[in-house]
Amino acid sequence: MSDVKEFETRPADDSKAESPLAWSLHEQKSLPHASNPGVILSEKPFLGHLILRGGAIVMDEAVREVMGMALPARPLALVSDDSGERSIQWLSPDEWLVIVPGGEEFALEQKLRQSLGQSHFSIVNVGGGQTVLSLKGKASRDVLMKSISYDVHEEVFPVGKGVSTVFAKATVILRRPEEDGWELVIRRSFADYCYRWLLDAAKEYGVSVTR
Amino acid sequence: MTQSNRISTGGRIDRSHGLEFNFNGQSYQGYAGDTLASALLANGVDIVNRSFKYSRARGIVAAGAEEPNALVQLGARKDTQVPNVRSTQQALYDGLVARSTNGWPNVQRDVMSWVGKLGGNFMPPGFYYKTFMSPASMWMTYEKYIRMGAGLGRAPTESDPDIYDHMHHHCDVLVIGAGPAGLAAALSAARGGARVILCDEQEEMGGSLLDSRETLDGTSPVAWIEKTISELASMATVTLLPRTTANGYHDHNFVTLHERRTEHLADTASDAGFPGQARARLHRVRATRVVLASGTHERPVVYANNDLPGNMVAGAVSTYIRRYAVVPGNSLVLTTSNDHAYRAALDWQEAGRKVVAIVDARANPDGDLVRQARDSGIRVITGSAVIEAKGTQRVSGARVSAVDLDHFVVTGRIEDLECDTIASSGGYSPVVHLSSHTGTRPKWHEDMLGFLPGDVKDMISTGGVAGHYALGETLADGARAGRQAAIDSGFENAEELKLPDIKERRDGPSCALYQAPHEKQGLRAPKQFVDMQNDVTASAIELATREGFESIEHVKRYTALGFGTDQGKLGNINGMAIAARCLGRSIPEVGTTVFRPNYTPITFGAIVGRHCDEFFDPKRYTALHQWHVENGAEFEDVGLWKRPWYFPRNANGKKENMHDAVARECLAVREGVGILDASTLGKIDIQGPDAREFLGRVYTNKWAKLEPGRVRYGLMCKDDGMLMDDGTTSCLGDNHFLMTTTTGGAAAVLEWLELWHQTEWPELQVYFNSVTDHWATMTVTGPDARKLMSEVTDIDLDREKFKFMDWKEGNVAGIPARVFRISFTGELAYEINVQANYAMHVWKTLFEHGEKYNLTPYGTETMHVLRAEKGLIIVGQDTDGSVTPEDLGMHWAIGYDKPFHWIGKRALSRPDTMRGDRKQLVGLKPKDASIVLEEGAQIVLDPNESIPMTMMGHVTSSYYSPSLKGSFALAVLKNGRERMGETVYLPMSDGKTHEAEVVSTIFIDPKGERQNV
Repeated sequence: MSDVKEFETRPADDSKAESPLAWSLHEQKSLPHASNPGVILSEKPFLGHLILRGGAIVMDEAVREVMGMALPARPLALVSDDSGERSIQWLSPDEWLVIVPGGEEFALEQKLRQSLGQSHFSIVNVGGGQTVLSLKGKASRDVLMKSISYDVHEEVFPVGKGVSTVFAKATVILRRPEEDGWELVIRRSFADYCYRWLLDAAKEYGVSVTR
Repeated sequence: MTQSNRISTGGRIDRSHGLEFNFNGQSYQGYAGDTLASALLANGVDIVNRSFKYSRARGIVAAGAEEPNALVQLGARKDTQVPNVRSTQQALYDGLVARSTNGWPNVQRDVMSWVGKLGGNFMPPGFYYKTFMSPASMWMTYEKYIRMGAGLGRAPTESDPDIYDHMHHHCDVLVIGAGPAGLAAALSAARGGARVILCDEQEEMGGSLLDSRETLDGTSPVAWIEKTISELASMATVTLLPRTTANGYHDHNFVTLHERRTEHLADTASDAGFPGQARARLHRVRATRVVLASGTHERPVVYANNDLPGNMVAGAVSTYIRRYAVVPGNSLVLTTSNDHAYRAALDWQEAGRKVVAIVDARANPDGDLVRQARDSGIRVITGSAVIEAKGTQRVSGARVSAVDLDHFVVTGRIEDLECDTIASSGGYSPVVHLSSHTGTRPKWHEDMLGFLPGDVKDMISTGGVAGHYALGETLADGARAGRQAAIDSGFENAEELKLPDIKERRDGPSCALYQAPHEKQGLRAPKQFVDMQNDVTASAIELATREGFESIEHVKRYTALGFGTDQGKLGNINGMAIAARCLGRSIPEVGTTVFRPNYTPITFGAIVGRHCDEFFDPKRYTALHQWHVENGAEFEDVGLWKRPWYFPRNANGKKENMHDAVARECLAVREGVGILDASTLGKIDIQGPDAREFLGRVYTNKWAKLEPGRVRYGLMCKDDGMLMDDGTTSCLGDNHFLMTTTTGGAAAVLEWLELWHQTEWPELQVYFNSVTDHWATMTVTGPDARKLMSEVTDIDLDREKFKFMDWKEGNVAGIPARVFRISFTGELAYEINVQANYAMHVWKTLFEHGEKYNLTPYGTETMHVLRAEKGLIIVGQDTDGSVTPEDLGMHWAIGYDKPFHWIGKRALSRPDTMRGDRKQLVGLKPKDASIVLEEGAQIVLDPNESIPMTMMGHVTSSYYSPSLKGSFALAVLKNGRERMGETVYLPMSDGKTHEAEVVSTIFIDPKGERQNV
């Protein structure tokens, strides 16, 4: 669809960026460290986040052409490329979240727009508004059970699934890209709340935060 | 004091692990494995409490959750107090400190008991209401003193040192209760492959098996319990939750479980060796199937003085002897209606103490246990019942008589038996509480002499609660229920469980015995207690029925039967039976009352979980929060956001107050340049060929001709024509818009757009996405704004090329930015939007360059003053959901001639919205410029009118303006625009009346020249 204003929000010199967790980490002085942590938390900052809206068929064609990946068609599905660095997640029947390495998103948006041509769709860069928290360790599931009412059991929440759900009193996107790793996509303004909540919930299992 | 009632062998206590504890100021010893109740009984403590209403001495009656008397106030410190703990459920730990909940100065010599004795006959149900009903105005005073004398437990006065949390679960099968049926059900379901949660409220799983006389596979049931639990524990699909009470059974198989994690170990989690961990956890479980295996409560028999210490439920006697190795007395009389209770006498005798007699209400009891008792030389008196307990501080004897239960009379000679303990059993009541929480009424089964759970969708009741009392039957029923639950939840291959061998036992039929007759009738007999926790007697229920309370729900409320934390566990069925007898009806005709969550009391901490203190509510921060904190901002809560309110400066070691800070910030903007973090404003990205059309339908004004590069202010109405939100929307491309909303309205507006798009106009091709968090917004405003901006941006700021209500893109501080020339202050203003990750860099760069212009950060308070000086409204402050755009004088922003019927248009032509005397937005100038009117103050035209005065409107915004050097206000006033120049009056609650002149809403720069430079 034409007549949309594309805008590269990233400067050439990317060194000035502060992630949504900058304030929380600054407040903490030193990162939590447990000797035998049941939970290991780390932020994956500055990634490229795009929200795709549109019909599944045209969007699938465009994504195949531009990213070499199939659009997840099943509800709540999450697919990643071989490197694991690029992923597409089903959010709603006409809505997907694409996460790519930071800096790729604007070129990707342009290519997708070109490929989609005159179809009705929208692509929105939301990379400044959210960040990814990775949750690993044997007690990850317990921490999620203390935070989220959605069923995170192995059988119900296998690798390759993602949901938008309630996290304590915030909303998050929860996804399971790999066997022993979970990701929370959290909104910038709620990042501190979610981060502190996770640390609190994980305390009894031992928690480390890594960069 | 020695443990005089402790048996030297047997029981499930650890004699090598002695524990010290303190009860009512005295030290005692017990063992690991004891409950507080069993340890008190072991030490021969008879009186553990005073009763609620009559202050009668009370002892321990039962051994579990059904205990009505032995409630204690637990906790060694002021901040660890827990009221209403059942000592029968409290595991003993070293250093435990408990006190009776009632009794002053102490339970042994209670002052109130004289009131009870004296007032006993004068305190029928409704006593307080009948006595203190007049004068009505005095009730508040009476009530204060009555409540001081009554009450169960005291709330802690200091904050709790412990934390509590929640955990969410989903499972195929939730099994409630780990007695024989529950264990068999859990094993059966788990072997079938189902995800199983097994919870049990006791210290140890096993339920009735833990004190059973029977054997499984020829050996003690404990071996089978251990084997079963270890198999369950080894399965990854099984979660075992001991010390966990299923407290509430809600809709759709949502069950709340209350797990006590450290309360059995010490006063606090820290003392227990788990610092920082939750003392209790609320598990929130969604189960595909619930297997209810909550068992039964044995019913005590209602007879005279049945509340004296030394009266116990028969099964509890067995539990104390077999499980805790405590014989709670020396000589026992058992009164019963059934065979099963005979085990209490057999256990008593085997413990080496004297059984005086078994008094059986049946004429010819002949089951296996009866024969065994007779063979053991125990005297069995048939066709009789204990009709009265003798004694003062403890039972000293039992009066026994032949009874005719059909006619409810004493028929024979009354025999006095000497004893110190009377055990009674009137049969068994299935624990139907949880199934009743769902709203399902239990059903009376005459053959069982009890209420069984009604049909609850997706629930299977099993074992005792389903009316299976014989062990073999219970196990088989549990296994069947577990298998069925697994099959029902999709595990069709669940197999039948092989059950242990049980020696058959023949039990004779029971008879219906709820209340024993007495030779004196009704109120003339000594008190016969039905509900001991609420001090409800049989004669009180009789009186209630005589006074016309025929519905059991009314009887309950009149007498307090089954109230409070007790929830009628021991007393309800007896109470209903007595009401039925008095009314000449059957028990099913009388019916049951409703049991409510929670089954046993639950601490508020567990309900709240971690949603307290710093986690009470999320705090939303902008990307610039750290700067605000470091620069001393005071914060204001706006929705969940923390927004800088004002930035007080420190001068001469003194912090500026809000008035001075706001005045300074206002003048900085009017005379130099200020900067505001406006990131919290809602931002919605709108794309699609029909985006423009959609805007025209949801805003009141026109959007057809807004060109790319331009910005427009818009008003949004609900379909009732009332203003719901406002903001600017920029045309980014022909098919691309950026809408801003109020901070608090962001989520609601997005939902509103989606609602109309999805339900009314799905044919419009448009998508909405929230980008509130993506963009950080900084407003640079004031006469020097252009000078400052020119130093940091490559955007051409020429006033002809970058006009008011234009937007441009470029770089600000080297960061790609969109800059909008919109103004909420009335001054020249640039709103800079950058991707939020770069906001801090841009903000700091602005301050580096801004120093020479005295760039002043300002907060929401200054923003409010500045916009009010310009008559710019804030939705939700100057409007309240009953204000139309016309009321605000904003007809310039209403496109009545737009081709499509936009939301709210129809409502704006209703007679009510077109009426002339609607409240309209006006300005007010107080006659005394030093007085800042109160927001909310009512406006009248005649200050001398008598109350109730004719209210014409109210103040919506009011401030001191440093630019005007005086106060000013916005208000809504009936027919306000016609009243320009009139004087109105504002009578205040302190008796003063302020005067103000009605003026235009625009106090500064009415032509708007300052923002247009």
